[in-house]
Amino acid sequence: MNKEKRKGFFKAVTACTLTAAMLLSGGCGKQKEEKSKIAVITKQKLSFWSDVQMGAEDACNELGFELLYSVADGDNDYVSQEAAIQHAIKEHAAAIVIAPNGKTELNSAFEQAEKNGIKIININSRADYPGVISLIRSSDTEGGSVAARHAVEILKKNDENLTKLKNIAIIGHTASTAEDRISGFVDSFTNLASSAIAPDVMVENDQNPEKLAAAKQEKIEAYKKGIIKGTPCAKRDAAEEEAMKILTNSANEISVIFGTNTNTTLGICDAISELGLEDDIVVIGFNSDEEELGYIRTGVLDGTVVQNPYMMGYVGVRYAKRSLQGDNVPSILDTGTVYVDQTNLNTDFIQLLIYPRGKNDEDGNTEVGK
Amino acid sequence: MAKNKKSKGSGAYIFAGILLAIVYVINTFLVESIYWGNQTVSRQTSMAMNSLNRMNGELTAINTDCIGIAAGLKDAKDMPYIMMDTERRYGNIIAAQHQFEAIGGLSDEVMNRYNYTKSIITAYKSQLDSLGTKNVESGDYSQMGMIMKQDIYPLQVTASEMCTATIDTVTKDTQRIMAANTKKAFALMTAMMVVAILGEIAIWLFARRAKKARLELEEREKNLAEVDAKLKATRQKATDLAVTNVLTGMKNRYALDGDISDRLETGRFNIAVFDMDNFRSINDTYGYDFGDEYLAAVAEKLKEEFSDVAEIYNITGNEFCFVFNSNVSESQAMGIAQNIQRVMSSPYEVLNLAVQLPCSGAVYHYLPGDCLNVNSLLVKLDTALRSVKMNGGNMINTVMNM
Repeated sequence: MNKEKRKGFFKAVTACTLTAAMLLSGGCGKQKEEKSKIAVITKQKLSFWSDVQMGAEDACNELGFELLYSVADGDNDYVSQEAAIQHAIKEHAAAIVIAPNGKTELNSAFEQAEKNGIKIININSRADYPGVISLIRSSDTEGGSVAARHAVEILKKNDENLTKLKNIAIIGHTASTAEDRISGFVDSFTNLASSAIAPDVMVENDQNPEKLAAAKQEKIEAYKKGIIKGTPCAKRDAAEEEAMKILTNSANEISVIFGTNTNTTLGICDAISELGLEDDIVVIGFNSDEEELGYIRTGVLDGTVVQNPYMMGYVGVRYAKRSLQGDNVPSILDTGTVYVDQTNLNTDFIQLLIYPRGKNDEDGNTEVGK
Repeated sequence: MAKNKKSKGSGAYIFAGILLAIVYVINTFLVESIYWGNQTVSRQTSMAMNSLNRMNGELTAINTDCIGIAAGLKDAKDMPYIMMDTERRYGNIIAAQHQFEAIGGLSDEVMNRYNYTKSIITAYKSQLDSLGTKNVESGDYSQMGMIMKQDIYPLQVTASEMCTATIDTVTKDTQRIMAANTKKAFALMTAMMVVAILGEIAIWLFARRAKKARLELEEREKNLAEVDAKLKATRQKATDLAVTNVLTGMKNRYALDGDISDRLETGRFNIAVFDMDNFRSINDTYGYDFGDEYLAAVAEKLKEEFSDVAEIYNITGNEFCFVFNSNVSESQAMGIAQNIQRVMSSPYEVLNLAVQLPCSGAVYHYLPGDCLNVNSLLVKLDTALRSVKMNGGNMINTVMNM
């Protein structure tokens, strides 16, 4: 009888446990659903791309995705990017957000990803692949143009009509983005300073408007040709050396000097401060490395053009999500550039741009190379 | 016992009922709290959505104006009005921001995204003020176009993007909170359910055990009753044996004692004793077993013939006592006595042998107070009987009243 009683009790307990387990498992079923994954693949280990990563992380957290982040070893290392795409395919990622290191090199990987239903979003630059849904970047041409506009503005402060305008010098970096920034800078600068470069007085005798325009254009083209362009530099030391060479040879003939990325800007600033030319030459740079900000504070660097990598990462993931939902996303989004100088360096917006998660949250990697 | 059984069963049911009621009341409160929780979340969400959509709408309106100006679609003389519009719209944005910030209880993610959005909007407005407005006033369209393209438009686009991103995070937040609420409620309800089920099972087990115990008790009581009845029967049997002659199955002298003692003082009745004459010769000739058989046969016959009119006792070996019914008169008693003598002395076939013995009797018409006890009564009757036997037997004597 005792044995039977025990049996009955066990039966009851088992029935109860099973009921509870069923109820609980019924409720937990949905909870166990795995998060979709989004692969974010960037170019190289620099703080610019760390900011992209931050944006992507925030977006993934907010939108409920798992982030598969990987970074290549340099801006021409498409091999590790290809591996990262393969990894994303293997991990059944829903979308790939990539800053491609190459125009066509990744196309076969993209094709394979697309076959697996993966959406492809580009950031920073576009690959020549028809399946790219959207490109999120800040225009390099416009960035150069912003630099030129502010350079002209600074010159006009002391010399309204730019009568004392001299030559400009540019030291570019080695990546493809340098060319766009330089052309944007040169075109805008010569356009905005055209009245000084090709003053009406020089050609006032010629009454034919067509001839007048042609003459002016010729003058501008001549000015463009005369612009001092240093050898493209990858490193700060090289840029400093190049700047030293230019400045020692022709400091008196230069009104503005422009660096197209962090290292060239820092090299130029190093040379300028060494030669004590802060007050004589307008220096415009690119990006927002801590040392660049330091040069802005000391007045060596007049201003720098800052992009919004955090926004690229964030919007990249966001657009991936929207296209996964079947929403239309713009095929191109310009996240813009902002000109930073002593006057606005400490404003909330610029601080947010430079430190997307607040100043203390930065990982100390101050090397900015894009 | 029946009452006991009922109260035991209903105790468990009452407990089960109370338990269920508690579970339901708690569940009701839970449902209520989920409803109000979700209601609050919905209200907050719609307020947040409302203010964010307002910000985004006003931003787009401002931007449309900017594009209009940059594209030369707006008349220069209308500029002051457009700028007034912008200020009004920006005022609406600030109001929407205040509305959003007053909501409270929003997640860190939402607030981070919102703060980002807000600083972009602030930057956008300051760009508008410091660059756009100045150039609009100066009418420098080429400069305006550039500023529009490089400074204002990207800011507006990203501000708008962040606005919708904030809306998305609010939606996500809402879903998360509601899912969490539902999950919490589900877990609690499940727990309550499990408690209820466990409680019911406990009650069921308890009731089953109680029922089993009750059945055992009933069984034991039944057994006890049976034993009791058996004991009573045995006792009755023993009692009967004490007052019965085993051989003839008739009541013995003790029974007679018990039956008539009370009647001696006030009773009036006829009583007779009969005895085989020389019964000993049977025992001696045929043995005691035969004698017993003979006596049993006689007794059987007497019972058959006279139990209607008298209570018959087998008071010693072959001596029978007849207490006549109260409706039997003295004379009738005498007649019956003669019948008794005839019956007793008639031949009996015992073990294939026909046996016949004469018998003698004594009849006593008892009057109240004649004897002090049954013993003296029997002495009287025996004395009368003996005197008959001394005179050769085969007669009926009468006890004389003195």
